[in-house]
Amino acid sequence: MKERAPTVYIVDDDDAIRSALRLLLKSVGLAAATVPSAQEFLATYDPQQPGCLILDVRMPGMSGLELQQQLNLRGAIIPVIFITGHGDVPMAVEAMQQGAFDFLQKPFRDQDLIERIQRALAKDQTGRVELRERARIKERLDSLTGREREVLDLVTSGKPNKIMAADLGVSQRTVEIHRARVMEKMGASSLAQLVRMVLDLKGGAETAA
Amino acid sequence: MVTETKSSQELQALLDAAVDAIIVIDHRGLIERFNRSAERLFGHDAGEVIGRNVSILMNDEDRTAHDAHLQRYVATRVPHIIGTGREVDARRKDGSIFPALLSVGAIGGAEPPRFVGIIHDNTASRRSEEDSHRLQGRLMHVSRLATVGEMASGIAHELNQPLAAIATYAHACDRLLGLPDPEIEEIQTALKQIAEQAVRAGDIIRKLRNLARTEESVRAPSDINSVISELTDLIRSDAKAHGVHYRQELAPDLPTINIDRPQIQQVVLNLVRNALEALALGQLDARELLLRTRVIAGGDVEISVCDNGPGVDSALQHRIFDPFCSTKPTGTGLGLPISRTIVHTHDGALEYQPNQPRGACFVVKLPPTRTDLR
Repeated sequence: MKERAPTVYIVDDDDAIRSALRLLLKSVGLAAATVPSAQEFLATYDPQQPGCLILDVRMPGMSGLELQQQLNLRGAIIPVIFITGHGDVPMAVEAMQQGAFDFLQKPFRDQDLIERIQRALAKDQTGRVELRERARIKERLDSLTGREREVLDLVTSGKPNKIMAADLGVSQRTVEIHRARVMEKMGASSLAQLVRMVLDLKGGAETAA
Repeated sequence: MVTETKSSQELQALLDAAVDAIIVIDHRGLIERFNRSAERLFGHDAGEVIGRNVSILMNDEDRTAHDAHLQRYVATRVPHIIGTGREVDARRKDGSIFPALLSVGAIGGAEPPRFVGIIHDNTASRRSEEDSHRLQGRLMHVSRLATVGEMASGIAHELNQPLAAIATYAHACDRLLGLPDPEIEEIQTALKQIAEQAVRAGDIIRKLRNLARTEESVRAPSDINSVISELTDLIRSDAKAHGVHYRQELAPDLPTINIDRPQIQQVVLNLVRNALEALALGQLDARELLLRTRVIAGGDVEISVCDNGPGVDSALQHRIFDPFCSTKPTGTGLGLPISRTIVHTHDGALEYQPNQPRGACFVVKLPPTRTDLR
């Protein structure tokens, strides 16, 4: 699947900062979308659009931190780079604890910002690949029959065929057939790969919770 | 004669036991009696002054007028200070002047009239009054500095905006100029923006400096809207820091008011800060602050600072202007009393009113500049 070109979102209530940042990003060939308020960003944000978010901590109405919380609640993975004014260190700390990608103090060096943006875009990219991978595994898992699902659980918990046959009250041969179907449907070429898929999915479920 | 002497001795004992100076004069102003406290207070022995004109105990101004006052009273019997008393400057034997409270009575039945004066040394209370004025002045200054200090972080943030914009525009220009085919127009626009943002930063600093001035109180007829406009950026940035939506409704064509500009700005900032802190307790997204000016019935100019926060508890309403009655953990409890004092010295009023449907309104009323005295 072809990835869409990333967009750098800039959310700041200050007209001059927004237009200066847009120009800076343009000078390094990055597409920027500027938004004057957190509410407006939330209302128009498309989670399918790859990119990152440059966010002012202090804004009238919904603050940058509050927007970050809203995004977290929605399970958005977009990396957030906060830009803070003088004396906002406690806010920056809180932002980082809430999972912000990074923060910069105003005024900042262009190089610092651009490097962070590039790292944030790379992280967004890997995040999206992982998300898609997990979705694919989930899809395959959902295609298993009830009996195949049972076999998968037993296989990945390390039970040999013989024990499984006894547990399920079927012949070893039947277990072998189910097991082969599970491997095929899941697209796994080895038991180790199958185990990792299941763990990834669990891990993903935990992260999202 | 014996009784006469006895009562005269009793009278002298009474006079001498009094803490305050007591002097009896005749209708020409000549001293007849001069008690111990008078000797102590003025430094004269009774023997030195009895028979002399009481005006030797007065400052030059009162001295010249005293004989005339006496003659007027003797002729018309219309009392001037008799029965009321007043504050005067008195003169000691060594010529030094001190503040005194003087009360005068006419001795009943005596013809021609005689008078008794009681003089209380007022030096101590005058000094404490002056001290309290000085202290008040200092408190106002300290409180203004504290307000400025509290707002400094808001100001620093506000200054960072244009600085960050300038730095970013400059970096962008540098990079754009490094491109093979730079768009000159785009770069020109950015350069203009840089200049504009520098001016914006300068404005913020100028306003801060105006606020921190400590000059002597000077009153001048002023347009309250322009006084408030100087604070607008400051208030807006502070409101922003508190997540508060700030609105201003300044009525046009207000009469001028005779004010000490920084003092009234101090009052407005105090009220605004109180409102912002009250709003911090309220619900997000709905925090509102309204600053309004208008003319009210009677011609006074009204400045109101209204919020939709929790308002003032009715049990506290009568105490909020008392010093040290703070509801905030970090409050000095001086903001409102100092604000009220400032407004009172401007012949105005500062009052609390509950806001509708909720919140607090602090209302300052100031009289317009009087033109009838010109």
